[in-house]
Amino acid sequence: MSTTSRDLPEQIALLPDVVASRYLTHSVLAGRERPPQLALIRGSEPMGTPAARWTVEPLRQLIDVAMRRHDGDRATADAWLAPRLHATLRITRREAADTRIWNFLAMVVAPDYVLWRHKGVTKEGDRATTDRFVGLHYKQTFARLWWAAELFRDGDDYEPARLACENQDVLNTMLRLAVIDHRPTARAVVRLLEKGLVRTGRDVNALGTAINTAAGTLVYDVLAPDEAPDADSRRYWIDEAENAGPVSLDNLPFGPDDGCVPGDSVDELVRRFAQLFAEAPVRGKEEGRIGTGRSNEGVSLDKTYSPF
Amino acid sequence: MNTVFPYPVLTGDITLEVTAVKLDGRPLPLSMISRDHKVVALHEVERSRWDEARLDLRVVLPEKELADGPWDDVACLAALTEASTNARATARLRRSDAGWWSGSLVFHRDAHLTRASLTVAVAATVDGESGRLVGMAEESWIVELDERIPARKQELNIHETDFRNGSETWLQTFQDAPWVVETTGDMPTVHLNTGFEGLVDFLNGGGAPVERAVRGMLAAQIAAEAWTAMFNAAVGDLECDDEGRPQWPTGWRDGVLRSMLPDVLPDLSISDALMEVHLRLTEGGWQELQPRIQYAAARRAKTPKNIANGLRAMSRDVETER
Repeated sequence: MSTTSRDLPEQIALLPDVVASRYLTHSVLAGRERPPQLALIRGSEPMGTPAARWTVEPLRQLIDVAMRRHDGDRATADAWLAPRLHATLRITRREAADTRIWNFLAMVVAPDYVLWRHKGVTKEGDRATTDRFVGLHYKQTFARLWWAAELFRDGDDYEPARLACENQDVLNTMLRLAVIDHRPTARAVVRLLEKGLVRTGRDVNALGTAINTAAGTLVYDVLAPDEAPDADSRRYWIDEAENAGPVSLDNLPFGPDDGCVPGDSVDELVRRFAQLFAEAPVRGKEEGRIGTGRSNEGVSLDKTYSPF
Repeated sequence: MNTVFPYPVLTGDITLEVTAVKLDGRPLPLSMISRDHKVVALHEVERSRWDEARLDLRVVLPEKELADGPWDDVACLAALTEASTNARATARLRRSDAGWWSGSLVFHRDAHLTRASLTVAVAATVDGESGRLVGMAEESWIVELDERIPARKQELNIHETDFRNGSETWLQTFQDAPWVVETTGDMPTVHLNTGFEGLVDFLNGGGAPVERAVRGMLAAQIAAEAWTAMFNAAVGDLECDDEGRPQWPTGWRDGVLRSMLPDVLPDLSISDALMEVHLRLTEGGWQELQPRIQYAAARRAKTPKNIANGLRAMSRDVETER
């Protein structure tokens, strides 16, 4: 089941949740049938003025390369695709919060990718779950990559985001925690990964719990102040999509140059998080560590919406 | 604050007020700021393109308690957040000579979608530990960006009556209940049973801090039940168009749904959330939604805060008795 580019619409459109969900039948989820493209396109709303950033083709090319290069270990496609998706689909957070964009990518542009990446054994048989097509920002195939790149990048540097996406538990656990909306917190988490202080999925889950719990009594913004990202630079970067060529397949692209996370703040949180982590219970710590970067798909840390 | 803290926190009031708003440098009419409802109605601004908003804030802290208490390096931080865009903008406020704290919080429209929440946290060094959360504003503000109706429209009757001997005979069957929530008419009503000994006097009374704290817990419980009942009634009463899509109701049902849905289904847009609750009720999945509904109701009723304050007041009372 491959989608060739000539079948595809030229521009991304907005596909409402309700329309998309209607076509998520068992056959589609199991990969036996393709979602009905014409009906889905008919059910979508056009984006308004056409713009280079809504062009489907560059995204589709990236997705094809991701599948070709990472067929041996599909989870590794996340770290490769996340920064490239973010740098190609240049949108504001306001736009990214609109699930209809992600629905369109999953249902119309690349349903084959969703299945390639997320099809697995479930109670209902061998298939992808619906939330990989139409779902929350930390579940949906493309939304989770875009948001991971957005929340873990350090200004125009995607390297922290790439590192974050190398660990499935960062995507599965951290991405749903409101604490990482504070940039120094997100940056400090990746710094602990870089330092090798936090390695396994269980480590990441324990760290996430520890940071989130501590956020109930500590105000990270006061301990580690952030500077507001430069909105004009971001706007400029988005507008530059008109002139930007395709992103490099081998080197990391550059993100919006909207300001780095203050280094002192990151250092302060690294110090504190390392301490929290040292005191945190990690499942299996005593029995010797088992280096699974996967599993824990169903951790039940609901994203908390208290801003503190 | 819904945690029990292992260090001293503020018990006095922390109040937040938005005193002025500027969009791209232009002052917004004061009518867009509702102090009663704690809403900034940016969605009502007849200006479709704006990039930057600046909120001028004033916060009053319990200064005497702060001065006498064990808190150092006090910092007052305002934060504007929206779950659907993972946005977080903050501002450190400064203490003025007049005794309040003030400052401006700037945010960008690009980072927000429908509704942002504005709150204030007070941090301090306690027992040598810096950055401790020692207090939060009693009530947060809402900045509406993309809706026509301010969400904080609350309409709820409180009706005191003797269930056994009152004029509403249907209440007789509930004569041993302290209260009953009715959601049928044009306006939801909490019937308080004056025949339930001591209840109404207690709810209307003054009294010592402990008594006030227990009253807060009781009031929160009544309110949580009322919000749950109102939500269930509003969803149950939804009417659909020809294509089976639920329509926004009118009156209090509209207000209840618009204010609770973002907490019940925080990751859906409000119109998709309406569709979703309707589908859950009619096609299954309603039971799984109950914890979310209870959570949303408890937030409206401020149950966590009231229970935490109540427990704190009681434990403090026990400590003084010792």
